[in-house]
Amino acid sequence: MRLNLILFFALIIFSLATVNSEHQYRKKYSKLDMENKKTLELRDEKTKLQLEESDKSGNERIEQIAKKKLRMHNPSEKEKVFLGK
Amino acid sequence: MIKKAKTRQEFFELSNFRRRFMVLILLALFATLFSRAFYLQSMQKDFLQSKGGDISNRNEKLHAFRGKILDRNNELLAASTPVETIWANPSDIILNITQKKKLAVLLKMRKDHLEDRLSKKNTNHVYLRRQISPELAGKIMAMKIPGIYSEKNYRRYYPGKEAMAHVVGFTNVDGDGIEGIELQSNEFLSGEHGFRKVLKNRKGNVVDDLQEIQIPVDGKDVILSLDKRLQYASYKALEKAVEKHAALSGSAVLINARTGEVLAMSNYPSFNPNTSRSAQRSKYIKNRVVTDIFEPGSTLKPLTVSAALKNNSVTPSTLIDTAKGFYRVGKRLTVRDTHANGIISVKEVVQKSSNIGTTHIVEGLEKKYLWSMLNSFGMGTKTGIQYPGEVTGKIHHYEDWGETERATISYGYGISSTLIQLAQAYTVFANDGVIKPISLFKEEGLVIGRRVIDKKTSHEMLQILESVVTEGTAPYAKVKGYRVAGKTGTTKKLDMNGGGYGKKYIGSFVGMAPASNPRFILAVMIDEPTVDGYYGGVVAAPVFSSIMTEALKIYSIPQDEIEFKHPKEQKMVYLNQHDE
Repeated sequence: MRLNLILFFALIIFSLATVNSEHQYRKKYSKLDMENKKTLELRDEKTKLQLEESDKSGNERIEQIAKKKLRMHNPSEKEKVFLGK
Repeated sequence: MIKKAKTRQEFFELSNFRRRFMVLILLALFATLFSRAFYLQSMQKDFLQSKGGDISNRNEKLHAFRGKILDRNNELLAASTPVETIWANPSDIILNITQKKKLAVLLKMRKDHLEDRLSKKNTNHVYLRRQISPELAGKIMAMKIPGIYSEKNYRRYYPGKEAMAHVVGFTNVDGDGIEGIELQSNEFLSGEHGFRKVLKNRKGNVVDDLQEIQIPVDGKDVILSLDKRLQYASYKALEKAVEKHAALSGSAVLINARTGEVLAMSNYPSFNPNTSRSAQRSKYIKNRVVTDIFEPGSTLKPLTVSAALKNNSVTPSTLIDTAKGFYRVGKRLTVRDTHANGIISVKEVVQKSSNIGTTHIVEGLEKKYLWSMLNSFGMGTKTGIQYPGEVTGKIHHYEDWGETERATISYGYGISSTLIQLAQAYTVFANDGVIKPISLFKEEGLVIGRRVIDKKTSHEMLQILESVVTEGTAPYAKVKGYRVAGKTGTTKKLDMNGGGYGKKYIGSFVGMAPASNPRFILAVMIDEPTVDGYYGGVVAAPVFSSIMTEALKIYSIPQDEIEFKHPKEQKMVYLNQHDE
């Protein structure tokens, strides 16, 4: 009788522990999944920033800014000095 | 009427009856419950399980990222960014007039057009707008309209815009490559989507996997041999030349003389793959460097003359009588030079681009030998670039040649090639007689070529080609500080309606620098120039000079010429003549 009682309580405890561990697992899995999603979002963000950098450092943009904003121009033949070998 | 117990015994008899009655009722109720439970558990099991699963189980597609396309310096040429697709299930839609108006504005659709889409009750999936920004999709979803959903997709973006469009190509709305490198390397770039079945809680968070996850395999990045800076420089130089000469189009290809890697390959006019509509795209879609064939004209002469030099039938100093500027071959053909050159050397034949001279030179060659030499130079065969739509040009079999064909082929008519084939043929003169395969991908190791002519012949031809720039038809190809070698070409285009040659031209130039040790080969062609000249030396040579100057500067190539004579100071040979 006493053994049965002990086994009964052990059963209850282990059942609760199983439920708890399943709960903990799901909680952590959910967190992992959210972190994975965040990784993908950051990856997208990185690509976006790379594209923006590429856009901003584009030859055409630099040329336009150099010509219009900074009023630069290609050197004429007279302005070029060749130092030779 | 309820019977009342008068004695204790009678009371128990009555209660026994009631007890049995109650037990029976309870049993009946339990039987009903069990039978219902049995019905649900066995007969309706699958249906109920699937319904339950629908609420908590989800099938998720795991997106495989499409690889990026990069230039040789890892500059971005194509990458995927997230966009949203808005779709609707018309049978679930509940919309009031204000919402409908707002939705139409956000979707940039006409209200009647939106109504039309949403009235399709026979389907449960209608696209409202594809590939919109996540911010705009957020605004639409914030309206919380039942039956409107958003789905995350990826869209390609091309920072190289017009200058890169022809090489890089583009994808369709589903993200599959349909042109250029996007098509050529589609499998490599695509990867493989994954899949998983998950359990979600009531908040919509994933809490468990229900099956083994099929992990997505991301696409790989493609590193091209192109240099974004040179690509831009060549595009701008072409744009300037095409506008200046009111030409139909212009194309250029710059290759690394030692490895055969393509450093720039551009066409003008072009299109912006990020914004252009399909009509504009289809108008300018062809990468003419590899898909368009033309008769190379004089740019082919170095090939036929070096075949004769290799054969020892002539030397650079052998004298050829080009007579008074015309020469009859058979009954049908009169070969003409635009100038009476008299007796000139083989070197001068190339320098002055004499058609009669090359005709005489090949007369000493067997047709089979000349045909096989042109084949060795890559005429009529693919270059190895593996670009979609590459054509091989055409060279008739030597058994079909008469005297006329042999004569015309000697100066580049009756044979067709692409611009990239011409550029490849010139790798022979830059590599001591060895031809290199052409590649659009960055080469890491040594590129093995195939010997076409001996070292001596190659050096002789290189010197002749250099004299074309210093004394011949191409002074405008000069680059300050460097020795340049090359050949001009001006070809009459075949009139597609009349059959013969019309008055439309292709001006071209193929050359290399520094001539002392060539590092770059550049082929330029301007199609149908109409203003300010049409000769290769006038329309294409300046483009060559402009692009080559950039290439030599960017790659810090040591100069090999100190004295520089400006093109205008140099006596130009036949620039006012037709150097066909």
